[in-house]
Amino acid sequence: MSEDSAIFVIKTTANQERSVAGMLAKVAKKDNLDIRALLAPDELKGYVLAESSNSGEVEQAIQTVPHARAVVKGQSSMEEIMHFLTPKPTVTGITEGAIIEVTSGPFKGEKARVKRVDEGHEEITVELFDAVVPIPITIRGDTVRILRKEEE
Amino acid sequence: MVESVCMDCHRLVAGQECPVCGTTNLSNDWSGLLVIVDPEKSEIAKKIGVTIPDKYALKVR
Ligand SMILES: [Zn+2]
Repeated sequence: MSEDSAIFVIKTTANQERSVAGMLAKVAKKDNLDIRALLAPDELKGYVLAESSNSGEVEQAIQTVPHARAVVKGQSSMEEIMHFLTPKPTVTGITEGAIIEVTSGPFKGEKARVKRVDEGHEEITVELFDAVVPIPITIRGDTVRILRKEEE
Repeated sequence: MVESVCMDCHRLVAGQECPVCGTTNLSNDWSGLLVIVDPEKSEIAKKIGVTIPDKYALKVR
């Protein structure tokens, strides 16, 4: 059997994701099961991800854990969950004058120029291109995508 | 229960300071839970450079 890591998806009761992850870690340690890590990203409601070499170990671990309901058939790869490990960067890398696209919120899809970067609060102030009057708006740094670094 | 997270190493901290970093630079504004059980074998632990089994926040603000 392969010792390589795969990712298995565990269905949980909603809002119990973190407690399930914590308890699975305890069970894995106590019963010496090959579960290497557990992941409960906030974006995944009702699911916990387990890093293990095979689904049998995960199946065994969930038996005694309340709110861990089932192991979803199949497996995911490390690549598929990488984005959870590197949450969208905050304002790091965003500079004044950069051209960005807003990726969520009421201005989603709008392009804008960065006017000010507030690293402490992870916010940036931008001016939307399509606004009739360029009113500066302040948004979270993780809701934008950089299209172009500052213009020369 | 509200747990704080060390701003430096992202470890969940029960007390007033991080037992590993020794810093009191903690935050209550965090999201996403990662539990590292076996850092030797875990690809996730390797990717993010964690060597100690513990609970970590994916994101701290
Ligand atoms: Zn720390």
